[in-house]
Order: sequence, then structure tokens, then C-alpha cells
Amino acid sequence: MKKTVVALSVLALALALPLAAAAADFKLVIPLPLTGKQAKFGEIMKKSYEMAAEEINAAGGIKGSKLALGFEDSTGKPETARAIVEKLIEGKQPVIVGEYTSACAKAVAAVAEERKTPYLIVASADDAITQQNYQYVFRQNPVNAHYADALVDFLAEVAKPKSMAILYESTAFGTSGADAMESDAKKHGISVILKEKYEAGAPDFKPILSKVKSLSPDVVYMVSYVMDASLFMKQIKELRLDAKLFAGGAAGFAIPEFIDNAKEAAEYVVSATLWTPQLKYKGAKEYAEKYKAKHGDYPSYHGASAYAAIYVLKAAMTAARDWTADGIRDGMRAVNVETAFGPVKFENKEGYQGQNFVETLAIQVQKGQFETIWPKAQASKPYVFPMPSWRERR
Amino acid sequence: MTAAKIEVLLQTLISGLLLGGLYSLIGLGMTIIMGVMKIINLAHGELMMVGMYVAYVLFSWAHVDPYLSILVAAPLLFVLGVALQKYLINPVLKVDAILPENQVILTVGIGMVLANLATIVFKSDYRTTPVEYATKAWYLSDYWRTSPIELSLSFPWTVSFLFAVAITAGLWFFLARTDTGKSIRATAQDKDAALLMGVNVERMRVVTFGLGSALVGAAGCLFLPIYYLYPDVGGQFTLTGFVITILGGLGSTFGAIIGGLILGVFESLTATYIGMGWAPVGRFVIFVAVLIFVPGGVASLLRRRRLGK
Repeated sequence: MKKTVVALSVLALALALPLAAAAADFKLVIPLPLTGKQAKFGEIMKKSYEMAAEEINAAGGIKGSKLALGFEDSTGKPETARAIVEKLIEGKQPVIVGEYTSACAKAVAAVAEERKTPYLIVASADDAITQQNYQYVFRQNPVNAHYADALVDFLAEVAKPKSMAILYESTAFGTSGADAMESDAKKHGISVILKEKYEAGAPDFKPILSKVKSLSPDVVYMVSYVMDASLFMKQIKELRLDAKLFAGGAAGFAIPEFIDNAKEAAEYVVSATLWTPQLKYKGAKEYAEKYKAKHGDYPSYHGASAYAAIYVLKAAMTAARDWTADGIRDGMRAVNVETAFGPVKFENKEGYQGQNFVETLAIQVQKGQFETIWPKAQASKPYVFPMPSWRERR
Repeated sequence: MTAAKIEVLLQTLISGLLLGGLYSLIGLGMTIIMGVMKIINLAHGELMMVGMYVAYVLFSWAHVDPYLSILVAAPLLFVLGVALQKYLINPVLKVDAILPENQVILTVGIGMVLANLATIVFKSDYRTTPVEYATKAWYLSDYWRTSPIELSLSFPWTVSFLFAVAITAGLWFFLARTDTGKSIRATAQDKDAALLMGVNVERMRVVTFGLGSALVGAAGCLFLPIYYLYPDVGGQFTLTGFVITILGGLGSTFGAIIGGLILGVFESLTATYIGMGWAPVGRFVIFVAVLIFVPGGVASLLRRRRLGK
């Protein structure tokens, strides 16, 4: 009796092993916010990850293995994100991809480094994350300090303002974005006459805005997530707060919802962004059109970055000698690919480690559409500057 | 003070009052539930979220103005509140539990269920009702050409404020003049005495929870044209309502109105003169300070001068 059981199990093992080796899917569970305030971004990214995985699987997978994606909701809370990633590493997932807010990515990066598992950051911008001398953390999106490069360029070459007011939300993303803009402004001789943080999600910004109005700066620069951006512009219009330029630091100012909600108040607002569907990168337009056909709306840069991340992972895993954590880490270091998000390779420079450097853009809302206005080589429409005053409009 | 400084101050006060009026309405609903049930309803913001979704659905399907949908949202929320009280909270009130406040914990659970249901049904997208008058405003300089200062009064904010005032007045009338209203007040003041006087306390509880839900549902409709909507929008308003309820004096309707206005003006002044990043800190400093120094809230101050009820 005992013998038969042993024999049977040996037989079963012998049968199962080669089968498993041939068809083993590569399971990748991605932590991202699917509920809570950042859920909107999480959803765009989830759809984009899925699109990329489908395409890769249809084309034969990675070295013959299909990608099987799973998602875990971190609700935008660092402690939840951390717990999810701990669990994934315990479960022997050799690489971590994902998360959205800088606070979450920071927490995840610390775990990944400690547990020596490579982590690919997709859309979290806080500079500090790739300045910790981490050996296992790679970031595909530009850091916050560079988010506004094209916008600053535009300010220096075209707008030439004398004064600026900076409003930013009190989060890691808002603070680092505002600090970066402040130092850029100083470099170009623009005096920052007001730099103030605000409470994200508040219904009324008019008090802070009337203070800005009394100082009449040339440029008002705002760093906000989703809906604050459109509330800001609506209430700016209500107060008839005029400036030569209203500019936003990506995120809330660079997604379709901004125009949908702020309507005519969004007109002429300039924003930094990392990506638009009009870009001349290979695959960018195809991805945007496919996404729109499937989900009814153009994706934001978050989606493009998520979409590209799966291709970056594919490149890393193709280059990797084996699919252990260290193997994939070395694969990441060897990555040098053209993606829909732009060229991706991870470099150690300017005090960053494992950081990808991409050219950023400035977009402007014109007739209810985002148009790329800077740098000139990528421009889809000429810029409008200065902005007409609220009284002149209508 | 220069003209510019006066302009900033006046504009800040206008914003604060308008915001405070809306806060009052949120606080009122929570306060009357607090008064009768002696529990804090921590699903309050989520009920408001439901009201907002009702208005949103009506707007996107039939293009019903969010202000008009109060007529649908408030009765609907009343029914929802009644059902919650009757079938979930009342049974729990009767159960002996280790925790004496298990019905408060139940409201937290109800809130979570509502928020997650909304996520499933409406997804986590941000929604707005883009009404034509969203950014319309009246300007002082349009009426007084040589005015040294410019003030603006937002159209939707003003309309929302006036609605809030009207609803509050209606509630006042209901509580002061009608039989049911008087029974509710009797139950709030002394449950046992009310019971002895022949008030159907159980029914008053149910009606009160419905009424509180209807009020916050109406507040949701008033917030929609000036704010936006997503499934987790409720949490911050629960918190606001909570602070107002404490500030106003637990269970006092008049206190809640004053508390809401104080909070609105306080938040606006903080935003202008200290920094908006400090608004949340200020809010909870008030909260703690009131609990320590004026445990009865605004209501106790008024009572001392024989003004309140």
C-alpha cells in the first residue's frame, strides 16, 4: 500500500514537472490604489498594465512565459502598500512593479531594498525616493525636480515673468514640486512672492486666492491632484484673479477631467506633463487610440507610463540570466528600450540612482483640448501668451 | 488698512459665511440624531455621498438641476435613514455587548458599506454636474463703477447658501410647531419622561434618523454644483459634521447652526492669514479646546445667558 502511494506520487511529480516548466505563467501582482482618493489614477494604470500584458502575451509572452497580472488595492495608504509588498516578497515574487503616490512608493522602495527585490516605480515623483543609494529601486518616470523642466524653459524663454505665486497641496508630491519650482524660479530671476500649501480636497479656495489676488503675481503656479485643479481654476475665474499665466505642475492639470470639470475656466492654462498622445514616440499614438477605443477616453501620462512599464519589465526579464530577484535586478540595469512613454534606461547621475531621464513637456488648453506647446520640436500648436484677462473673455 | 487689505478681509468673510452655512446644514443632521439617539452617526458623510449620487444620476440621465433634485434626494434619504435605523441600529441597541457604543461602530460599518457599494456601482471616477452657472458670479464693480475694491459673490455658492438657510428655517418650524417635532424634542431632552408622557420613543428615533439623513442628503445636493463627487467623499464631511456637533454642543440645533458658521469663517480666516495648510490643525485645535474648556459647546454658553432652548 505504502509503496503504491510513493510510486504514484513520484509518477505524478514526474508528469507535473515538465508540464509546469513549459506553461508556467509569470505571476505579477501589482499594488496600486483602486479605492480612495487616488483611485482614478489607479484605474487608468490598471487598464494600461492589462493592455500591455495582453499585447505581450499575444506576441508569445516573455521567453515563452505568459504574464499573469493580478492587482492589490493599497487604497493610497503607505502602510497598506507596505504590507502588500511584504506579502508578495514572502510569496517569492521576484520583482515589484507599481504603486502611485510618492508616499506609498517611498514605503515600498524601503521594503524592496531591505528584502533585496527589484522595484520598478511607474508614476511616483518625489525626488528623494531614488536618492537613497538604493540598489534595487528603479524609476521610470522623471523626478519631481524635472517635471517642470519644459515649463520652466517656457517661462524663461517666452513668459519672462518677474513674480510668481506658488500654491501646492500638503503632500510629498506637492511639497517637492513646489520646492523644485521655487529653486528653478530663483535660477531665472523670478521672485517668488508667495509660496503656500493648501489642504487637498477642501471645497473652498477663495480665501487663499484672494490673498494671491492682492499680491498680483505675473504667474500663478499650482501643484495639485485631480479635482483641486479644476476647483482652483473655477474659483480663480469667479474672483476674476488675473495673471499673465496660470500654470500647473502636471497631475491634476494634465488629465482630461480637468477640462471636463473646469470647462471655460480651464482655457489657456499651461501645465507641465510627462506625456501626451500627440508625442512622436513609437507606439504612443497607437496606445492612446487603442485605450480610447476600449475605455472611451484618452489616457493620461500615468497610463502611458504603466503601459510602458510592462514592456520595460519584459526587456529586463529578457536580459536577465535567471528570474530571481538578483537576476531581474541586473536585467533592469541593462534595460535600454524605446517605449510609448519614451526611451527608458536607468542611470546613476545628478545624485539619483536607477533613475530614468525623459524629456518633459508643456501643454496648454486651447479650445477645450490639450495642445503640446513646448519644447518647440514637439509642439502641436503655437502657444497663447499672455492669457487674456477674465473681463476680456466672453 | 489699505483698500487691498480690506478687500481680502471682506472676500474672506464672504467665503467663510457661505461655507459656514453649508457646514451648518451638515452639522444639523448629525446633531439631531445625536440629540435623540445619544450616538454620533459616523455614516453621516456617506449618507451625504448617497444624496450627491442621487443628484448626479438625475443630472446625467434627465439633466435635472442639482438644486431641484433635493426634492428627490431628501425623501429618498429619509427612507434610507428610516430603514437603517429600523432594521440595523435599533436591533443593535437592544443587544448587550462588551462595548457600550456598539451602535456607533455599526454606523462606521454602514458608512464603509455605502462607500464601497458606490465604488462598485459608479466606479471610483470623479463626477461633477457641469451646470451652466458653475462659475457665474456677481461683481461689486459691475454695480458700483468707482468702487475702490472688487468683491465677488459666486452665484452657485449663494444659491446653495440660501437653500441651506431655507431648509434650516423649515426644520426650525417643524421642531418648534408640529406635534412630531415636539415629540422629537421631548425624546431628546428626556427619553424616559417622554415615554411616560405617551411619546412613541421608538418611532421618534426612526423618524429622527430619517430626518437627519434627509438633511444631509439635501446638503449633498447643495454641495454638488460647487464641489465634486467620488465614492469616498463622505469621510471628510463626517469629520466636519462631528467637529460642528461638538462645537455646537451635542444635540443642540441652534448650537449646530452657530457652530457651522464659526467653523466656516474660522477656516477661511486661517486660510488667508495663517496659511491654508494649517486649516486641519486649526479645526482640531478648536475641537479639543471646546471639549476641554466649553464641554457643552456653544449651546451651553447660550444657555448661561438664557438665550438657548
